[in-house]
Amino acid sequence: MINITIDNKLVSVPKGTNIFKAAKDNGIYIPGLCYHPKLTQYGGCRLCMVEVTERGRSRHRFSCAQPVAEGMVVKTNTPETEKYTKSVMEYLLAHHPLDCPTCDKSGECGLQEITHDLKLKPGRFKGARLDDPMRRDNPLLEYNSNRCILCSRCVKVCKEIAGVGAIDYQNRGFKTVVGTAFDKPLDCSFCGGCVSVCPTGSWQDRTLKFKARPWELKKTPTVCTYCAVGCSLVINTKDNEVMRVTADENINLGINESNLCVKGKFGHEFINSDKRVKTPLIKKGGKLRSASWDDALDHISKKFSEIIEKSGGNAIGGIGSEKCTNEDNYLFQKLCRTVLGTNYIDNISNMKSPSLNRLINNSVAYGMASTSLEGIENADTVFFVGADVSEAHPVAGSMVRKAIRVNKTKVIIANVRNVEFGCETKDLLRLNYKLGTQTALINAMIKVIVDEKLVNLKKAADKTENFSELRSFLRSSDLGIKKVSKATNIPEDSIRAAASSIAKAGNCYVICGKDIEEDPSGEETIEALMNLCALVNKGDSDKVSIVFSRQNNNSQGVNDMGVVPEFLPGYLDINDQENRAVVEESWDAKLPAVLKNSPGDIFDLAVKKKIKAIYVMGENPIVNYPNGKKVNDAFKKAEFVVVQDSFLTETAQLADVVLPSSTFAEKGGTFTNMVMTVQRLHKAIPQVGDSKPDWQIICNLAEKMGHEFDYTTSKDIVDEIGKSVPIYEGIEVNRLRRKGFHWILSLYYKTKAEKYQFEIARKKTSAKKGNTKYPFTLLTGSSLRHQGTYSRNSESLVSLASECFVEINRQDAKKAKIVDGDNVKIESAQGNIKLKAKTTGRVPEGAVFVSEDYEWVPVNNLRGDGYTNVKISKTK
Amino acid sequence: MGKRNKKVVKEEPLDLSKAEKILDKYEGVDGCLIPVLQQIQNAYGYLQEPAMNLVSERLNISVSEIIGVATFYAQFHLKPRGKHIIKVCCGTACHVKNSKNLSARIEKRFKIKKDETTEDKMFTFEEVPCVGACGIAPVVVFDKDVHGTLSPDKLDGVLDGYTK
Repeated sequence: MINITIDNKLVSVPKGTNIFKAAKDNGIYIPGLCYHPKLTQYGGCRLCMVEVTERGRSRHRFSCAQPVAEGMVVKTNTPETEKYTKSVMEYLLAHHPLDCPTCDKSGECGLQEITHDLKLKPGRFKGARLDDPMRRDNPLLEYNSNRCILCSRCVKVCKEIAGVGAIDYQNRGFKTVVGTAFDKPLDCSFCGGCVSVCPTGSWQDRTLKFKARPWELKKTPTVCTYCAVGCSLVINTKDNEVMRVTADENINLGINESNLCVKGKFGHEFINSDKRVKTPLIKKGGKLRSASWDDALDHISKKFSEIIEKSGGNAIGGIGSEKCTNEDNYLFQKLCRTVLGTNYIDNISNMKSPSLNRLINNSVAYGMASTSLEGIENADTVFFVGADVSEAHPVAGSMVRKAIRVNKTKVIIANVRNVEFGCETKDLLRLNYKLGTQTALINAMIKVIVDEKLVNLKKAADKTENFSELRSFLRSSDLGIKKVSKATNIPEDSIRAAASSIAKAGNCYVICGKDIEEDPSGEETIEALMNLCALVNKGDSDKVSIVFSRQNNNSQGVNDMGVVPEFLPGYLDINDQENRAVVEESWDAKLPAVLKNSPGDIFDLAVKKKIKAIYVMGENPIVNYPNGKKVNDAFKKAEFVVVQDSFLTETAQLADVVLPSSTFAEKGGTFTNMVMTVQRLHKAIPQVGDSKPDWQIICNLAEKMGHEFDYTTSKDIVDEIGKSVPIYEGIEVNRLRRKGFHWILSLYYKTKAEKYQFEIARKKTSAKKGNTKYPFTLLTGSSLRHQGTYSRNSESLVSLASECFVEINRQDAKKAKIVDGDNVKIESAQGNIKLKAKTTGRVPEGAVFVSEDYEWVPVNNLRGDGYTNVKISKTK
Repeated sequence: MGKRNKKVVKEEPLDLSKAEKILDKYEGVDGCLIPVLQQIQNAYGYLQEPAMNLVSERLNISVSEIIGVATFYAQFHLKPRGKHIIKVCCGTACHVKNSKNLSARIEKRFKIKKDETTEDKMFTFEEVPCVGACGIAPVVVFDKDVHGTLSPDKLDGVLDGYTK
């Protein structure tokens, strides 16, 4: 720490801090427009001049460009500095159009505030002003170069945070503007970072245009409802309508350092969408008609009771939601288990990768699960395995980019596709394996580490079990690097380099993505991956942490809350008598009897007519569930379907009763992100229409069915969760106001990590090949611009990405004579869809890629269980 | 709508092998953007989009930054240039000696404006700051030949020498 004096105040700040930040962090104001704490320093606005006295000598320095030194005395406001700052402002304003009345930034504009603070009079200069047209080449952002002061914040945010580099200074001198190469329309990730950091009205959010002034907006901090990163965001409302979403101004709050992605920033229009379901709907004569809450709940309760009486509680299947809060899901499983008396409850993420919960729990038990996502920023190596971070978790991508900037982090990306990752990442190692060879790749890396003794093998053997078996497994099977290199199509050197980076580096994050988790061989690959982590951890010191990426904002929470057939909340084995007794006592209710066989998939059972009623909360399985044919069949065969959702989704259209639920902006509660950080939501607007929060609907239904669910606010439910869910023990709503609750961390405090046991893969997986009839493999994945029902009902996102493309390798496209924009029919044994083609180098030959996040494109109709082979043909 | 009748000019795909060769030379060299751009401009005449995309891919620098650099320096050109470059000096001395008249004559003769190229891609006309030959102002530089103490009529004579 370094001690300096700023304006007679003694402050102590870390070495390397600049004076501007030191002052700002200690509540001392220095005018300045170009410096931003999350960006690299630039020194372009020339406003932050201060007087610095060191060793008896006084000099004038730009505070953002001057690091602190012991004993420095800084004066921020002397007659000289004021005179200087005023004249710089005069120059800046000489070019500025001063069109504040029609500028949306007015009221939160840095330039305006400094002008006001300095009490500036009209300037002496009548300089030439730019008269460029407004740039409006996309539906979300507009750029007005006339207002720009060239502070470079937007250029830096685009390059350093978003990793896109779509904009930079163009031209020179007076004609300098921020623009794209060759004046092309803006083509970027549309994270809106430029709008948030712009200190003038140059960059604007077009979706807000003339709808509200900044001072009219009520701001409510809450948590994003799209991906599993769990960014903090601030909902800005006017007259109970959401106007825009901004990031927290304080970059230390939340986990996202005020960074957002396009969905978080612009995907909020669904909240006040006209398409919301506003009243309960009951199907009469094949049509859904509005009804009162009483009628709808009566109807449901009557029907459920009939089914329970006739076929028992197990004839009802419940599907919980990856989007709803922990409280909603907790009550949902409680209702299903105690009121309906069914063992069949599940959620889509668990159906997609049934072994994941167990594996994640193992990673926690062995002490290798990561406790925070921000930790990535301090990593020396980041290893992405089957994770498409730029599309699925864009803000986590920004964290990695920060790590690269600060620590020169080595990034290794193992994926089937050549996934996008930042344009300027130099030290990037790609392992583009062939589909199906991922386990062999990881095992080969383990073999390299063992053979080349990259870690202390003796230590590793002492601290783990089964190590000798692992060694003999590595020797016996065909994991020779030559063979693996040939099978995976990755150069030997790359495999070696990846292995040694993971073994050597100081602090390593392994991020396992959905391509691995949802792969048919996912379990083995993850086990191999955990072996790799354990080998390095035990052979050296604990430095590798593993993150299992989840898709949705609460995909982790829904599993934590026990919306899975085999676990009670908190991953307590439901078949364990002791657990059952404890839970029954705390709930004061009976759990349904233990099932003799393993529970199996709800939709399988519904197809077999063993499940007669399906109760879906906040989920659209007709589109989300991988096997489209099966799920469609299941819903057709079900006698009675209840869907609780904010929109009339494909699933809701098949329902007998639809209950309108509130979105995340209209309720309190908690979400758990992919590293098990529990964060609190805040209610920003009252419920839209007649909708109710899901937990309230569940309470009402329970009451109708003669059970008392006595909760008045979501806080009551959190309290109960804190008491009855062991992993959430100690959670307190009031302490969640500004800080998350890390349940892994509190678990690590309480329990010691278990001794690692290497899992030896028994099965052999071979590379996936297409057959002659269906020569291509279908790859699916996340999309940056869409995610299910919410983005589909957000007009801005739809106007930005209105078309889902099928991505085809350029060589394959050439052979099939397909060019960009052609209509292409994709056929599999299960079905077909038509999409426009996009040729790319990112998809390997012999595969096509379709995003599964465009809800109106039923990709799942093509898919069965396991890998899907397809053929493509050009159509009109 | 309505734009359908617009003529689509089919451009020959650019042969990038020369650019590839230049980039191979600079593989892994830090701070090589400007020499790379210079050599690509020498090879192709001006900086064309496909070549810039290739540079971006190979040097890991975004296209916007490359074009930012290219538009900053007067030496780089993003538009095709003619076979011959006619530069009229606009330095103080030449300006006093009425170099404006010379520019006007060129504009009239070739029917192009400043920084434009004739349709046959033969001549590009540019106005440049001082070329450092104030003693013989006003000056016109034709490719690498310097012609001094010109009047519009004299200039016509000089240009005749090149065009015929």
